[in-house]
Amino acid sequence: MKKIGKPVFFIVFVLIAALAYTSIFGIYGENGDFDVTYIKGLSDIRWGIDINGGVEAVFAPADGIDADETQMEDVKGILDSRLVGQNITDYEVYPDYEHDRITIRFPWKSDEKDYDPDAAIAELASTSELTFKGGTDSSGEVLLSGKDVKRAYASYQQTNNSSSYEYVVGLEFNDEGREKFKQATASYTGKQISIWMDDELLSAPSVSGTIDSGSAVITGSFTSKTATALANKINAGALPFKLTVESYGTISPSLGSNALQAMGIASVVALALICAFMLIIYRLPGLIAFIALIGQLSISIAAVSGYFPLFPSFTMTIPGIAGLILSIGMGVDANIITAERIKDELWTGKTLDGCIRNGTKGSFTAIFDGNVTVIIVAVILILVFGPANILSSLFGVSTTGLIYAFGYTLLVGVISNFIMGVAASRLMLRSISGYKLLKNKRLYGGAKS
Amino acid sequence: MMRQRFHIDFIGKAKIFFCISLGIMLVSLILNLVCMPALVDIQFTGGTIIKYNYGGEPAHKNIEKIVNETLKGIDALKNEKVDFSYSENLAAGADDSAKHIVALQFTGNKAVDISHKQAITDALQKGYPKNDFAEESSTAVDASKGANFFLKCIIAVAMAAVIMILYVALRFRKIGGLSAGVMAVVALIHDLIIVYFVFVLFRMPLNDNFIAVVLMILGYSLNDTIVIYDRVRENRRKSGPKVTTAELVNNSVNQCFTRTICTSITTIIAIGSVLVVSLIYGISSIISFALPMMIGLVSGSYSSICIACPLWVMWKNHSDKKKAEKKNNGGSTVKKASKKKAKAAKADTTKKESVSE
Repeated sequence: MKKIGKPVFFIVFVLIAALAYTSIFGIYGENGDFDVTYIKGLSDIRWGIDINGGVEAVFAPADGIDADETQMEDVKGILDSRLVGQNITDYEVYPDYEHDRITIRFPWKSDEKDYDPDAAIAELASTSELTFKGGTDSSGEVLLSGKDVKRAYASYQQTNNSSSYEYVVGLEFNDEGREKFKQATASYTGKQISIWMDDELLSAPSVSGTIDSGSAVITGSFTSKTATALANKINAGALPFKLTVESYGTISPSLGSNALQAMGIASVVALALICAFMLIIYRLPGLIAFIALIGQLSISIAAVSGYFPLFPSFTMTIPGIAGLILSIGMGVDANIITAERIKDELWTGKTLDGCIRNGTKGSFTAIFDGNVTVIIVAVILILVFGPANILSSLFGVSTTGLIYAFGYTLLVGVISNFIMGVAASRLMLRSISGYKLLKNKRLYGGAKS
Repeated sequence: MMRQRFHIDFIGKAKIFFCISLGIMLVSLILNLVCMPALVDIQFTGGTIIKYNYGGEPAHKNIEKIVNETLKGIDALKNEKVDFSYSENLAAGADDSAKHIVALQFTGNKAVDISHKQAITDALQKGYPKNDFAEESSTAVDASKGANFFLKCIIAVAMAAVIMILYVALRFRKIGGLSAGVMAVVALIHDLIIVYFVFVLFRMPLNDNFIAVVLMILGYSLNDTIVIYDRVRENRRKSGPKVTTAELVNNSVNQCFTRTICTSITTIIAIGSVLVVSLIYGISSIISFALPMMIGLVSGSYSSICIACPLWVMWKNHSDKKKAEKKNNGGSTVKKASKKKAKAAKADTTKKESVSE
């Protein structure tokens, strides 16, 4: 087996230290007036509803409509894009096809001043169908609808009769819409048509002549915000039916920052105790196990905070944190198995290098098989309860965030265990045993030589 | 020089272990059936949620005390365990005197009588005359979602079990992996039952935490069992077919014993820290996660050594005997068995010295 150079220990150690530092504190910078986050740290973790509180609403089709599955799927898709349009990315939408219910949850803190969940939910529930009607009456002939619109956008333009500017919503029609709009303006020349969002009259312009430009502008007393919101609404599309809010309320952060602080203390206590235990029982390999453990924990934190741009940040709940702390305890298992093997070997009187080689080799299959079985559990949880939802044909499309998150952290834990508890630990152990000063077998749990 | 090791006859004492496990389960089951029915979270059973609104900010603990005392005085609701959750009314126009909401969640399908609701309202109004307590709403919550969820969890766990058995069968085919895999799963079922009883006996409602604990223990217990199987596989390769299964497994368990203990200790340190801190802070939802987890971890280590391994030895011996009977048409089985016994006795005497690998 190839010999590992002495400096390798320090290289691995510095890498782990750098990873730990950046995953906890992140790297931030300033670009002019903007704060830029280069690497996300602990403070960038999105806390779940149990820590921050949130809002939950259950929607059902209005008027007892019995929706079919494709309709419910459409509804989910439209609600998804509406939520994203409102800059809420951390939401959960749970459709229940059998009972035609859709539950929406999103984190919201009661001290958030610039966001009104009441209005947000009312807006989510509305059909949001854009219609152009003949005349100014809501019962007028429907000339065009939101389906004929290719794209809506907020814009700022000069008003017709003065030099002042106003916010408007611009519409681009698709081919069918263009044709319809051309016919509508032709037949209503000299008369008024009205533009509606559901039951709300947006504007009622007079038609001066046939328009064949494939575009139109909705005026009204818009602000920048309302114009953008309306454009987003039109782009998200109309629901096939109106939704009623079955139940709606805030979810208090039942656990609160108190719990977060408690978990912080618990993790520090756990780390300190495990460090002491490993040092006393396993000495030098115990120290290496502890360094590897810090690395493993850093990877786990990085995997939920969005440290790696590839993986979006994950919402952390209290059970998730408890699971993470538990993984601290289980994380040293690979090191314990290896250190025990090395101890066994040392009693046979072989050289230290031989013992470490045999010990690490002999313990690999146990660690490998043990971890693969855990990976099986984790992957099944992710597939069944996550977005992939392999059992959806039996149980309908409903993801369960908690179990999905649990499977995710479990999988991350096992993978980082392979990286740190197996690969990095072995590199460090083989490299550090190259030092004469550290050749004493007692340091590895052997007898006095 | 030989390394000091444990010499505990785990296989020989198997019957004691089985009795302990079955005894604990039996006692728990009786308690469960007679006086401690499992509490199930409202999200799984459905039930009734009654909301009261109020103004100001009386201490939550006192509200809970008043409600619980009132319930004790009502025969129909005497044994109900109520969950409390607090929220704030977001509906526009809610005035300050009705801004805060406390929701009482009654699980099960029992309807809560109007007179009982009134009794709770009266008690709250009496306790807090200035806070304008009033009943806001009373809704029945459907349970169908919950039953589905449990079924989904069971199917997920069953899927995992099947794939794990197949994996163990493949990786440990040299030592009869299929039976080993089945026994590992038996040990898992043992742990699940224990975790269930922890929730029942400590009066913690079965909820998301229960599922999380069960899944965690699943992984942990299995890992423990696999590490021992790995030793068995290795020792079988080294010792050849001469050594009896009982001897082989017993040696392997003893060789892994320090590791099992040490890993249990570090894991229990971790979850113990969580438990102690949440006890100090009084965070009940974490206590109902950490406590069963801790007991489950002990059960997980125990079941690997004292359930999975002895059961597997018994299975092996049984199937070996059957094979031998088939081969020798009955006549020579006695001879073979006695030979085996002699070998076992011989191995037993050498066991005490031979440890090195």
